[in-house]
Amino acid sequence: MSQVLYELRASWAIAKKDAAIYYLKPNILVSGALFPLFMFLAFSVGRPAEPALMIPGLVAITILFSSSTIEPVSIPIERRMKTFDRLLSAPISLHAIVLGESLSGFLYSIGIASVPCIAGFVLFGTGLSNGIPFLIGVVLTAFCFATMGTLFAAYPTESPGDIMSMLNLVRLPLIFISGIFIPIASIPYPGQLLVYCSPLTYGTDLIRAGFSGPTLFHPAVDLVMLLLFIGVFQVLANRLYKRFNE
Amino acid sequence: MIAIHVSDLVKRFETITALQGISFSVNEGETFGFLGPNGAGKTTTIRILTGISPPTSGSASILGKDIVNETIAARKEIGIVHETSNVYDDLSAWKNLIFSAELYSVGKEERESRGKSLLELFGLWERHNDRVKGFSKGMKRRLTLAMGLINNPRILFLDEPTSGLDVQSNLIIREVIRDLNTKGVTVFLTTHNIEEANVTCDRVAIINHGQIAAIDSPERLKKTIQSVQSVKVAFADADPSIKECLRELPLVNEVRKEGDKYRLITEKPPVVIQAVMECAAEQKVTVISMNTYGPSLEDVFIRLTCLDVRTKGVRAID
Repeated sequence: MSQVLYELRASWAIAKKDAAIYYLKPNILVSGALFPLFMFLAFSVGRPAEPALMIPGLVAITILFSSSTIEPVSIPIERRMKTFDRLLSAPISLHAIVLGESLSGFLYSIGIASVPCIAGFVLFGTGLSNGIPFLIGVVLTAFCFATMGTLFAAYPTESPGDIMSMLNLVRLPLIFISGIFIPIASIPYPGQLLVYCSPLTYGTDLIRAGFSGPTLFHPAVDLVMLLLFIGVFQVLANRLYKRFNE
Repeated sequence: MIAIHVSDLVKRFETITALQGISFSVNEGETFGFLGPNGAGKTTTIRILTGISPPTSGSASILGKDIVNETIAARKEIGIVHETSNVYDDLSAWKNLIFSAELYSVGKEERESRGKSLLELFGLWERHNDRVKGFSKGMKRRLTLAMGLINNPRILFLDEPTSGLDVQSNLIIREVIRDLNTKGVTVFLTTHNIEEANVTCDRVAIINHGQIAAIDSPERLKKTIQSVQSVKVAFADADPSIKECLRELPLVNEVRKEGDKYRLITEKPPVVIQAVMECAAEQKVTVISMNTYGPSLEDVFIRLTCLDVRTKGVRAID
């Protein structure tokens, strides 16, 4: 059996272990599932909006928060319990660990994101005109932010609060510069430059393409940019875990 | 064959040098003890040998595989039992063991049969479906050891395996270490328990301030400090003032009260025995028992690490 297959199996084992231990922890449920829902309600209730605009926004926010929440909570806890050393000393590369941790956030996010999707479809009727960009958008956005969560969790602390604070400094501004609540055209010029630096922009855009809503870029551009962000986050996460373990 | 080879290993953390060029080899099938006071460099050495942390310079290999360049191949040969019982409290004992097996790519059939026999060996099979959260410290330690053995390693790293455990767990773990040794598994053991190293290890390395102070078999190490011999004596109804009398005896370097006995450190036990009898007659007390002792591994450790043991604790004198 090749080493690649060994590593993929180990990554899968890490993701399964995280699912069994962390998915139903109260702090994960609050910040990964309830927080994005209430945030969306706070900004959307009472405002006239098309389902084609609302559902992609709700799905994108849910994915952002749910996928990037598991690792910033689980990894510091595992550092404190010294169970993270178990992963670091196993016959697998750091790539396999980062992939496994990201996979765990990704799967959690897919499960959580299905709730607003189903609710949206039931309440507003499906509005989904093209399932392929929608599905690709959901999958890539979830994996992208799961990797981002794993990247932030590389910071060598044993307190989840330390990482969540840093992460929220990034996650919350992302919502406002990615065209979910505020149309990009109405963002002042310097802020519009930041729009292009946000992976959430491309994720929301691709999901919105599935609803035939107004999009900023061609779906192929969104797809390439999301893949690029995933690659960059994976490489950075590997380097940080290596550096902080020295 | 050499199981572990360490050559001129240096590890620096910014301004601190944790390891100052240590070198040693461990033969296959050997039980090798690694002793040292806190902060001596034991954990740093284990972290380098298990590929968690890279050395600043020098090299280390596991069964001929360089730990820096062939990390994964080297790790496949080893099992690790960390100092803390690092088990997942929210998983059952069985799921902990299976997860460990999956990390080491142990096949499904093998991990299930091996998992069952390991849990039986460590007396945990009856609780295999229980969450580890409810386990005692000793049970968690035994599970940690089972997880370290799930991949059938050729080398086992044990970091303080019996520290603070109940008698049952201690006995089981010591028996397993002995059994592994007879099966040819190399055991690298760090411990604070010097007596454990004395009875378990073929050879012992004493590390202090990031340098190897001595490496040899426990018996040979003891012979290096023959000056630390002693006479242990117990009296019937002795007055505490007897200690003063003993202290003034010729050739007695030190008198330590150990329970209801007195230990007299000397280079000439026969002379001291005679003097003790005379002291007892003078004080009109009866000698119940008297024994002579050679230097213990603890004496070697104290001598080589320059620790001064007093009744109020241990302090570094250098």
